[in-house]
Amino acid sequence: MASNNVPLGRRMVLGAGGVLAAGLTRAAFAQGGPQARVAPITIVINQSPWLDSFRRSVEQYERETDAKVDLDVQPFAGSLEKQRNSVRASRGTADLLVMNSGWFAEMYFGGFVEPIHAIEPGFRLDPEVYTLGDTIYFDADTRTMTPRGRLMALPIAPIVPLTYYRADLYREAGIEGAPLTFAQLEANARRLHRPPRMVGIVQRGARGPHTVAFDFYPYLYGHGGSIFRNQAENDYTVTLNAAEGRTALDYYIRLARECGHPRTAALDQAEVIQNVVTGRAAHMLTVVAAWSQMDDRDRSAVVDKIEFAPTPALPGRPTAPGLGHFVGGVARNIPDDRKRATVQFLAWFQTKDAQIALARHGGMPVHAAAYRDPIAEDRRYRWMKPLAESLRHAVNIYQFPEASEVIAVLELGLNRAIAGEITSVVALNDMARQIHTVMAARGYRTGQAEPLR
Amino acid sequence: MWRWATLSPALVLLLALGLLPVLNLVVLGFFDVRWADGRASWSFVGTRHYAALAGDALFGASIANTMLFALGAVAGQMLLGFALALLCSKVTRGRVFWRALFILPVLMPGIVIGAMWKLLLNPDFGAIGQLFELVGLQPVDWLGNARIALFSVVLVDVWHWTPFCFLLFLAGLESLPRDVYEAATVDGADAWQELWHITLPLMWPTIVVTFVFRLVLAFKVFDEVYLLTGGGPGTATEVVSFTIYQRFFTEDRAGYGAAMAVAVIFLIFLMLAAAAAARRRVQAA
Repeated sequence: MASNNVPLGRRMVLGAGGVLAAGLTRAAFAQGGPQARVAPITIVINQSPWLDSFRRSVEQYERETDAKVDLDVQPFAGSLEKQRNSVRASRGTADLLVMNSGWFAEMYFGGFVEPIHAIEPGFRLDPEVYTLGDTIYFDADTRTMTPRGRLMALPIAPIVPLTYYRADLYREAGIEGAPLTFAQLEANARRLHRPPRMVGIVQRGARGPHTVAFDFYPYLYGHGGSIFRNQAENDYTVTLNAAEGRTALDYYIRLARECGHPRTAALDQAEVIQNVVTGRAAHMLTVVAAWSQMDDRDRSAVVDKIEFAPTPALPGRPTAPGLGHFVGGVARNIPDDRKRATVQFLAWFQTKDAQIALARHGGMPVHAAAYRDPIAEDRRYRWMKPLAESLRHAVNIYQFPEASEVIAVLELGLNRAIAGEITSVVALNDMARQIHTVMAARGYRTGQAEPLR
Repeated sequence: MWRWATLSPALVLLLALGLLPVLNLVVLGFFDVRWADGRASWSFVGTRHYAALAGDALFGASIANTMLFALGAVAGQMLLGFALALLCSKVTRGRVFWRALFILPVLMPGIVIGAMWKLLLNPDFGAIGQLFELVGLQPVDWLGNARIALFSVVLVDVWHWTPFCFLLFLAGLESLPRDVYEAATVDGADAWQELWHITLPLMWPTIVVTFVFRLVLAFKVFDEVYLLTGGGPGTATEVVSFTIYQRFFTEDRAGYGAAMAVAVIFLIFLMLAAAAAARRRVQAA
């Protein structure tokens, strides 16, 4: 064996002894010194475009504090299952639950998340941290997410969709300004639609865990529609099939059929992004997290050609992107020292400096000050200002634990309408009826609008 | 008595591993499981979940699609597998190479196959679409067109599982008695007559076992559909395992998902019983 041929010199023995001694000293210090107070923690997180930036922030935290953090990285759907399995066990393995907008309500309502102040009564939420539709709070008595409730989590990734558009094609066609209204988006998409080489817009119409529904929210809420009348007031009357909902769905389908991708009903997020980075689509409304792929010279044919804008709305209305964000909550069924260590990480993560560093790592900050930092003027980070504007108006779509059932209804109904299996009216009425059934069965105060005709 | 005593540890283990999970599933199907304050609460709902199955449009579509999928895929795999086995049983040079080549797809995990075919079938970027363009044809939207999406998934499954049938048929063909063929040759039988009057009747038990085996496995298809189409477009490729997965896991409706699973197990039992009855009738004839 090769190792048998390596001469074992005096210098090597001394060197090895030195390394061993240093290691033992460090271990002894870690056991008896101040670092011993910080327990190692495990963060369950999903594989997504912003993961790398989060990982680099975690590494920075480890360097700065000598704490130990393990990232348990799962696919999107797998992350939910992993978290469920952990929080439902008598003793959890996951300390920080990085929860998506589709399931944090399930975790709050189920009593799986420990309120931050129950762990560290002196914890202070930085007032400049985005509360993302107040989804970091939960009032168990009223079953609502408002600042009147307890602080349950801290925002991790402020994911909302933005409009991505080809600024170079806009210049060539003499189109000025970003598409801020639905009329502008449609007109510009039609103008740039040159199939099969270029489609005016590429949309994410496939059925998935939270795919076409998430793509549809900015259209629905941007047209003044909604799924429920007023969740904050516990009014779960289903309003999806009101006139605004129909206008929004008809608009979405019209874009798909007349200036969109011919396979809209089969496209998921990866394919939508693929179409844009290969230069085959002039617009897309997709999560801000995809920005880094646009300027990646190894992956993109549209480097420096993409501009960003808030998702469109009707004239006079603000942008209304649906929140697809992630918040981080501390699991309830873990030892106290791990709870404290997790809160310590969150306290560090919310600081302005950590958030600016996160942006430099390619992540989306959750601290408003980061968007005023000179970094936001850097061309590489040109998505930051549209994102800051979008976050002011972002809509929290679900405040109840049965969200996954409602999402499943929307995924199927919207996909069938986009695929042309059923009309928009049939789809909206059918989805509204099914959502009403779900909410009524769970005892929510609900009702239905008159069916569309 | 001593025989039972020595057998009992294995029996207990078998019952614990095989029967208890199914019993648990059956019991779960009569309950609604909700979580509050970190604890599960089970409420008895009787047969409500089973009654709800009848009105679940997705479940209905998935049963119909799964039947179509299973019959189409298994028929394709059996025919191709048998033809390949016949060819391979006659090959004398490079037998090992051809066998290794034919069984390659079955060695791949379903997830890899799904990802690979999703790329191949993508009309924008896929190799098959580009081949079509090379010969002047329009790329086909294999997975996005509701009219052909299920057919495309069946094709992928045929590619994946034909080697399984091929292996069983080849083993069966190689174990057939040679003297019967020699006698038939002496009597002047041609290849078609040999196939029809000797090979097929002798192979019948292998064919039935392969059919039942594949049918049950095809009924459980999940990974390929999950990756290729996610059940869409619309409900075009919704299959029953995928529906159970969504209801049980994604929507976290454990009771309802369990009832659905029990209903599917019952359906599979019915199919097995029908296959066994058919086999008995053929044997009697």
